[in-house]
Amino acid sequence: MAAAEVWKFAPEYALPVWPFIAPSDLGARERKRYPVVIAGGGLSGLTLACDLLLRGIEVVVLDEDDTVGVRGASSRGICYAQKSLETFERLGIYEKIRAKGITWSVGRTFSGADEIYSFDLDDESHSEQPPFINLQQFYLEWFLVERIRELDANAIRWRNKVVSVEQGSERAVVAVDTPAGAYALEAEWFVDATGANSRIREELGLDAHASRHTDRWCISDVRFKKPLPVERWTWIDAPFNEGRGVWQHLMADEVWRLDYQMDEHADPESISKPDIAGQRLRAQLGPDVEFEFVWIGPYQYRDHLLDTFRVGRTIFVGDAAHVVCPFGARGGNNGIQDAGNLGWKLALVVEGKAGEALVDSYTAERHAAAVENLRVTSRTARFLAPRSAAEHRMRRAVVALARNHAFARKLANTGRMAQANEYPPSPWAPDGARSLQNVALGSTTVTGMLAGATRFLGLWPGAGDAEVAALDDLARRLPIAVHAVAADCALTRQLGVAPQTLVLVRPDAYVAATLAAPTPASVEAALRRALALEETR
Amino acid sequence: MKSVSNIADADAFYEAWIAAHEGLSDAESADLDARLVLVLANQVGELQVLLDCIAAARRAGG
Repeated sequence: MAAAEVWKFAPEYALPVWPFIAPSDLGARERKRYPVVIAGGGLSGLTLACDLLLRGIEVVVLDEDDTVGVRGASSRGICYAQKSLETFERLGIYEKIRAKGITWSVGRTFSGADEIYSFDLDDESHSEQPPFINLQQFYLEWFLVERIRELDANAIRWRNKVVSVEQGSERAVVAVDTPAGAYALEAEWFVDATGANSRIREELGLDAHASRHTDRWCISDVRFKKPLPVERWTWIDAPFNEGRGVWQHLMADEVWRLDYQMDEHADPESISKPDIAGQRLRAQLGPDVEFEFVWIGPYQYRDHLLDTFRVGRTIFVGDAAHVVCPFGARGGNNGIQDAGNLGWKLALVVEGKAGEALVDSYTAERHAAAVENLRVTSRTARFLAPRSAAEHRMRRAVVALARNHAFARKLANTGRMAQANEYPPSPWAPDGARSLQNVALGSTTVTGMLAGATRFLGLWPGAGDAEVAALDDLARRLPIAVHAVAADCALTRQLGVAPQTLVLVRPDAYVAATLAAPTPASVEAALRRALALEETR
Repeated sequence: MKSVSNIADADAFYEAWIAAHEGLSDAESADLDARLVLVLANQVGELQVLLDCIAAARRAGG
């Protein structure tokens, strides 16, 4: 009998630790009021904090831990989508992400040994940022923390734990516990970014309509030397995993994420034993490839969705508001999109430049996005884990036809990658709102034009100087900057708009309106609507 | 969804459909029909028509 293989383990990642510093609120005679207080220093909370600081809004982030990532775990999210990357470009950390992460755009789906479907997301991209970069989540959080500390060294309060929240009509009172004692602060707006297991959500008595899925998976994050393409590979039914699904993705530091679908009745403890996980890897990589484990983690899907993302002065973002199956990277990216949607709205409301109803537009848009993400990921989950003989038959039909018929390939659903969700029509955007990619415009980009002050852009293909000058008065009174751009440019090509159409772009790079024959009055009306300001002056 | 006859030669189609199933086990027949549904669905294309077709077939099953 051959000697049992000895499995190698990489040393654990050493994550940064930041010190607890007693906040000035401790022992203060009067409770201090802050415009925005964020609970939770994960992806959505940190993105929002960074966004608000760049907009000149004072922020307090309360984090009960003193580091990033999840203790003992290698990583959670790994794929960051174009809209997230464009947001990080605006926040000033994109170059770090690009340098550390793995840029990719091609995905392939296999059945057995055959490729049955592929896509290249570059085909639809006009942006300066790529469709996707893979990076361990803790690196991203680390970069965000460093950026936030550049902007305000005291914004993040480590080891500050929210104990309770009391809602008032104009503020929330947040009770906080620290190693140096307890204190309370007042928040004009309190943001719950404490994640899937939010106690704040529970304390406010909100039903998140949680459900659990029976499909079971086991992640192995592994480092090995085998030249594999830098692409997203998925197997519907891998011969090296007893005919079940497998995911294969590269992250930073040459770490591959291999995610194996397990029998739904499998015991999570036994399938994650190094010996069992090691044999799975051996079957996939072959006998001669040396590898070392970085992390092994079994999991099951769950989902939940709050009915509304705003309750009084408390706003929910990220996993605290919604959780979907992880297919297509629609978890973390949507927490980041929540933050991108909310940041400019809170900034303008706090500064008195927009109506308070704009905060409700956050729920209207991001709840709709969460519903869409839930629908999209549930369809993937159903394709990957057929529940009956009939469902297995349907999937077999797709796979059989996909070999020779292009139409059937589109039915093979191993995840629809996260995109910037389109928002439905609303009082603030009667035609709905859709994302504008970070296209190059002359010597700058959309993101470049949006940097600095919190304001809308009026991008006007083919406009003359006099036409733009006629909007100077508007730009003095309301947060907008109007720019003439070339009649035929990346903007008109992406949006398919005719020359002379003014494109009203929000600070989160969403198109709020397109005005075919703009006049100062029609631009002002559209802008006021998008700002939730009274129609009349 | 069309309810009136639209198949150019209905009897010839039915004959061919039967012939395609000849010699297959029940499971193989069911697999064939599943593939046939997909191929035909792609000819129809329009989602609302497909949804109407699914509903009509389901209703006819009682």
